[in-house]
Amino acid sequence: MSGIADNLTIYLTLSAIFFVFGILATLTRKNIIGLFMGVELMLNAAALNFVAFNAFSKEAHSSWLHGHIFSLFIIILAAIEAAVALAIVLRVFAMKRNIDPDHSVELKG
Amino acid sequence: MSTVDIFVLAMAIMGVISAALVAFHPNILHAAVSLIFSLLSVAGLYGALGADFLAAAQLIIYVGGIIVVILFAVMMSENIYRSRFLDNGGKFLFPFTLSLVILFGLSKFIAATPWPRTEVVNRNLTTTVESIGLALVGPYAIVFQYVAIVLLSGLIGAVVVARPHHHEDEKRGA
Repeated sequence: MSGIADNLTIYLTLSAIFFVFGILATLTRKNIIGLFMGVELMLNAAALNFVAFNAFSKEAHSSWLHGHIFSLFIIILAAIEAAVALAIVLRVFAMKRNIDPDHSVELKG
Repeated sequence: MSTVDIFVLAMAIMGVISAALVAFHPNILHAAVSLIFSLLSVAGLYGALGADFLAAAQLIIYVGGIIVVILFAVMMSENIYRSRFLDNGGKFLFPFTLSLVILFGLSKFIAATPWPRTEVVNRNLTTTVESIGLALVGPYAIVFQYVAIVLLSGLIGAVVVARPHHHEDEKRGA
């Protein structure tokens, strides 16, 4: 029995738990920002999976870092998503005076 | 248990608790603050997996940038404290069922898959910065440029969306 830190299933299970909490936040929140935080949790879970697979790979050495690159691109795309999501939240708030996603139902307001 | 084991265990407990708070805390501001701790625990796990550059990038971009944006959006939305944001009329059955099914399926897959090497992490003391930099200008150069274009167009699109439109001002003035 190896230690906790050297066990791939620990990281995968943690990532699954993060992902499920992200899904729960996305489905149960009544707030666009809450949905957005759930999406961030899910992206983090996916990135953690990539890094864990990279670290436990058969070819793991100091210059074999493809999983790290994938996680880096996930972080960059999450930053873009944050900018666009905040812009949409600002527009919806300016038009509707609240950010409940159930109130934004028509396409051309 | 070694020091790294204790560190990973602490990060795991902190991450799970704060992720649960992100999903279930009725106050959206507290949920955003607990998202900080969730992202911090992911950064700590990156560090435990030997990804020093990614841990730093996670701290800078997520905790330093995205969280600030989220907190700004939370502060900007009024009635933070007046209404509870979780009152969706008891529509909890479908999300919980779906989440339990996904968690159960994922844990079954994780337990059933024969992972090729689950003994030790390559936790060497050399930094990964040089390798990541070389990969970004070598085999991943096209992807790097593409992400740059996506970032630029996303930021321009965010400015266009968030800018007040002139015809709405005229409508409001008329």
